[in-house]
Amino acid sequence: MSSGISQTQPYTRAASSASPHSSFVRHLITVVVTAFLVVVAVYFLIPVGWLLIASTKTQVELQSTGIFSLPKRLELLQNIRLLFAYNNGVFARWFLNSIIYSGSVAILTCLVSAMAGYALAKFDFRGREVLFYLILASMMIPGTVATIPLFVIEQPLHLVNTYLGVILPLIASPFGVYFLRIYIRDVVPNEMLEAAKVDGAPERTIFWRIVLPVIRPAVVTLLLISFIGTWNNFFLPLVLLHNQSLYPLPVGVDVLLSLIATPAADQSMPIYQLVITASLLSILPMIIGFILFRKQIVTGLTQGSVKL
Amino acid sequence: MQAARSHSKTVSAAAFLAPFLLLFVAFLLAPLLYAFYTSLFIERFGQPIFVGFRNYLNAFQDGAFWSSVVNVIRYAILQGVIMIALSLILALVLDTKYARWKPLFRLIYFLPYAVPGVFASIMWGFLYSKPLDPLLQAIRFDPLSSAALLYSIINIATWEWAGYNMTLYSASLTGVSTDLYEAAIVDGCNEFQLAWYIKLPLLRPTILMTVILSFIGSMQLFNEPFLLSALTPISQTFTPNMDIYAMAFNLTNLPYAATLAVLLGAITIFISACVMIAARVVGRRSRERSAPLVSSEEVLSV
Repeated sequence: MSSGISQTQPYTRAASSASPHSSFVRHLITVVVTAFLVVVAVYFLIPVGWLLIASTKTQVELQSTGIFSLPKRLELLQNIRLLFAYNNGVFARWFLNSIIYSGSVAILTCLVSAMAGYALAKFDFRGREVLFYLILASMMIPGTVATIPLFVIEQPLHLVNTYLGVILPLIASPFGVYFLRIYIRDVVPNEMLEAAKVDGAPERTIFWRIVLPVIRPAVVTLLLISFIGTWNNFFLPLVLLHNQSLYPLPVGVDVLLSLIATPAADQSMPIYQLVITASLLSILPMIIGFILFRKQIVTGLTQGSVKL
Repeated sequence: MQAARSHSKTVSAAAFLAPFLLLFVAFLLAPLLYAFYTSLFIERFGQPIFVGFRNYLNAFQDGAFWSSVVNVIRYAILQGVIMIALSLILALVLDTKYARWKPLFRLIYFLPYAVPGVFASIMWGFLYSKPLDPLLQAIRFDPLSSAALLYSIINIATWEWAGYNMTLYSASLTGVSTDLYEAAIVDGCNEFQLAWYIKLPLLRPTILMTVILSFIGSMQLFNEPFLLSALTPISQTFTPNMDIYAMAFNLTNLPYAATLAVLLGAITIFISACVMIAARVVGRRSRERSAPLVSSEEVLSV
């Protein structure tokens, strides 16, 4: 492969530097392409940029100044103070809830999926392929179809309006099992497992000491994807929770937003400011984490889906 | 001895599978089956009465539901075409020698993946709001008017997911051996021909997958219109999922909500399956008609 490149490289060089004219055209295309990419980048950055600016304004400034004009004084801290004072600091509770839901779902999804993936990848038993394809097929089912019946099923189990009621359904991730099954099948060497078995290691030890350390990169990816997915989930907690103190951020901020149409919004409470500041604080940790862990997320997403 | 070993193997396989299967059955399969079961009843004075398929007969005559289905299918097609075209263009342009600062652009385009749909809807919703946006007042355009609403939601969804799909395409392209491109360039292919005749056909399976996934997602449209309804009046039957949600919680008619949920799931799976079969037939026919420049098998064997 590398020899192929080194052989053809001179050809392309020669072709592009054949005349000064073609080099000019090449520069022109580069400029046009870069301009296009910059315009698209601006499109993707506009909402977040606006949110950053808007969160530093007072409500009066927000409605009287241009959307991208900077405020005279930065009011961000004042807005954050307002937000945390709202309704006895319920926002801090929503933030904590989001961390509890996302953290526990991410960790448990990884554990449960790794166990199931290991069984489906390295054990021979009857019905294995059927089971795997059943799990795969269930990825086609629109997630929200099961959500309202889920509410009905959780009622007699006393899971409605509890942390567990939100966490348990999200742990059962067909994607996680599919993803780790493929990874374990391709990456964990059978000889390694056989050798451990000959040494008399029990299955539990083999799983914790051999399988999990070997598949760590894939587990990290699943951990991140599942954390983001849970942090972003709106419909499931909206349906299953009705106690404000149990809400995760998206559902909580939706409550704030719905106050905009009420008369209280203009007089007693700067609802726009509360919603804007809450939105900023809800997405900032995700954006920072995303930039830090981008590589792990991208590999996982693409590995999982390209093979689908 | 052999039998005992294989028996103990089955036992440990079952032990490893148990937690997942338990949750899978309890929180995914059981609700689906239960949805179907409830859809065969109606509730009279708090008592369930078995009515067979009468709920479905009612649903077939439910004009509001079907217009919401038509609405969401129209949305799925429009949004899918726009988003996938944009994602493809971005992935292909970023794959040419003309693109600069590739990692930076890839990061910026993919960033909305980390932003929850609720907050994407809030940000765009405020940018769409006349009281906050003097520009809209100046050009006399209201993105939240009922005529423009569908397109405003298409914009939000495209903003959220275009970079995600671009990332999938880019990854498929980086998996391709560069020998193929070099050979094409030696043969006199320019960058545009390279993208059109070689890269695009290579992306076919990935495109099909993203079309299906985006269709399934679009059919469940809920968050964006639900959030925007705080800023502008939106009908409760704008999308099937909003209809189902209102049926279950505002009108507390759970059996009928379950009926509509089962129907929506069936429609979604039916159309997805049709698209997959059609894609396979078309793919086979075009392969028979003209030998392709490269098949994916050839690429893998390079």
